[in-house]
Amino acid sequence: MGRSLEDLAIFVGKRLLQLLPVLFGVIVLAFLITHVAAIDPCPRWYPKAGHATIMHCEAQFSRPVPVQFYDYFTQLLSGNWGTSQSGDPVLPHILAGVPATLELVLASLFLMIVIGIPLGVLGAAYAGRWADHLVRIFYLSGWATPTFVGAILVVYYLAPTLGLPTSGVYSAAPPFPERTHMSVVDALLAGNLPYTVDALKHLVLPAAVLAFINMGIATRMTRASMLEVLPLDFVRAARMKGLSNFVVLYKHALRNALITTTTVLGVTAGGLLAGTVVIEEIFQWPGIGAYAYVSLGATGVPNFDGAIAVVVVFALGVVLANLVADILYGILDPRVEWR
Amino acid sequence: MTDPVLSVERLSVDYRSGTERVHAVTDVSFTIPPGRVVGIVGETGCGKSTLAQAIPRLLPEPPAEIVSGHIVFRGTDLVAVPRRRLPLVRGTGIGMIFQEPLNSLNPALRVYDQVAEAVQIRHWRDIGLLPTFRGGSKPFDYSRRPLPETSAVLSRPITPGGAVAEKAQRRLTDRLDAREEVLRYLRLVRIQDPETVLDRYPHELSGGMRQRIMIAMALSERPSLLIADEPTSALDVTIQAQVLTLMKELIDEVQASILFISHDFGVIAEIADDLGVMYAGRLVEFGPVADVFRTPRHPYTRGLLRAVPERYKSDGPLEVIPGSVPHLARLPAGCSYHPRCPLAQDLCRVDPPPALRTVKGSAERAPHQSACHFAEEVGTTP
Repeated sequence: MGRSLEDLAIFVGKRLLQLLPVLFGVIVLAFLITHVAAIDPCPRWYPKAGHATIMHCEAQFSRPVPVQFYDYFTQLLSGNWGTSQSGDPVLPHILAGVPATLELVLASLFLMIVIGIPLGVLGAAYAGRWADHLVRIFYLSGWATPTFVGAILVVYYLAPTLGLPTSGVYSAAPPFPERTHMSVVDALLAGNLPYTVDALKHLVLPAAVLAFINMGIATRMTRASMLEVLPLDFVRAARMKGLSNFVVLYKHALRNALITTTTVLGVTAGGLLAGTVVIEEIFQWPGIGAYAYVSLGATGVPNFDGAIAVVVVFALGVVLANLVADILYGILDPRVEWR
Repeated sequence: MTDPVLSVERLSVDYRSGTERVHAVTDVSFTIPPGRVVGIVGETGCGKSTLAQAIPRLLPEPPAEIVSGHIVFRGTDLVAVPRRRLPLVRGTGIGMIFQEPLNSLNPALRVYDQVAEAVQIRHWRDIGLLPTFRGGSKPFDYSRRPLPETSAVLSRPITPGGAVAEKAQRRLTDRLDAREEVLRYLRLVRIQDPETVLDRYPHELSGGMRQRIMIAMALSERPSLLIADEPTSALDVTIQAQVLTLMKELIDEVQASILFISHDFGVIAEIADDLGVMYAGRLVEFGPVADVFRTPRHPYTRGLLRAVPERYKSDGPLEVIPGSVPHLARLPAGCSYHPRCPLAQDLCRVDPPPALRTVKGSAERAPHQSACHFAEEVGTTP
């Protein structure tokens, strides 16, 4: 085992193989929960349909659960992700929603990194003094805010003050095809500058709310690991070279403190994805979170196939985020060997 | 006489923890003349590391606090220098070698990046790209030093040239070949195969190797004062001997005065010109190494020297100093050594002795100083 590219490839390959049983488990769990939790869904799904439709539906659900699962799973493997009860196929929603959610999550991760991590450094550099306390107040208030409260407060009070839009991805339907379903990327690909700016304006508030609520983890971990690193000899040695405080903090100390922060940020991906469910619904973001909100029956009619698909995609997102974090960890820390 | 590179004047440093004040360094005064090596010995917890780090103002303030005194480095009182200007003094002014070679290199950066950083800082300061410290007094002109024996010069590997040669070279080109410069200093500290070491990370190197790199890093900035804080204590005995030999060799070539902190008399005897002995935060004795070793003028020094196992001593137990070091927050009244001192009298229990005073009869140019009421008697009583 070592640190060459082949070792990295083997490492990634192994982790991807380990992903398969995880995904299978997630599918089984999501299937069981949806099919056990919703008691007698047929009359609710087809309130206006005739007796025959409801009988047909109930016949489906009265079969043994393993048989139902076998049916669902073989369909899934053959690429059929199912439909909602109104016949709306699931897969197009997922394919369009994943990039949109990815855009939102990456944007808020970016904000967490460029704001949260320097705040953590600040807190550590002035540990116990007023700057540290201000930083703590900031991230704790984010942490303590329920997502829906934060999002609604921003929509009602902050957005009008700043003059920022709070709904959708563009102000008007774009004149270019939405190839990637990432609003900013699409506008950039079309070379349409006004639409790029418009997309960024739409992105900023939901991303900021999502980042603000999850920022505490990045800040707190950075501060804690900086406090561990700062008293070490190599930081003092760096100071004794005559380096400025800034270089000592951000090049020498943070470089080492980031090793821990990266791992934790990978774990935070789950929190970010969970946050998208409420945020996307409130900001009308056409992502997977909003689709999850609808599929789970928030509008009255649950959509089993959609709910399972959403859970699987979220699980995939969390596992992949952890994999990326592990790879970054190895890049940041030269002592790590891929295994 | 030339101005001293460093003169520490009645320096006191406290640590605050809660309501307690730990007097880590109390009323310490000494000077380092240009080109001299000053050793400081003392037991663990006597404040010698605090002293070493207080001089370049490296201690975190708080909890540390410079209560009183001055640290005059090349004519500038470092105690009065504002915090944000301190980096200017460090590196090219005062360099430092740390105790733990395991921790003193950044584990996430390659050796080259770390040494090159130091080389780069000095270069940028030399050509005026970065602001630098200009002391009141000029750095000691080492070119006036007597040259080493020719045979010795020939037997040594390639080393940086004299200050004059450097200056001439710099005038020719302001561009710096950082890699070549780094290699030069790695060769200076006798690292075999420096090209491969450059691309290594610290964890891939041995402790002795890392300490050599640490030394190369400090030297590459050509500081006027080099502080070595127990540079050999954390190493194996054989590696310790190698590093010590290296430092002894380098002293003749390096353009720095050295403050060498150690708990090991043997190491100090090898390397230092002057010797200070610290006890419970105070400097209790200071003088030329030979004088201190031959006729210690403080009972603590005498006790320490007697406790050193002689090389082939096989008969009888070693002498020990009774009692233990007092806690620095709760020092005894009077002389802080009196509970352990075989010569203690009533005066010692109530009246703290003055800071160092010159012992009668010592040479005027190289005074031998002691902080004992009975300094003159120490040499004569058993």
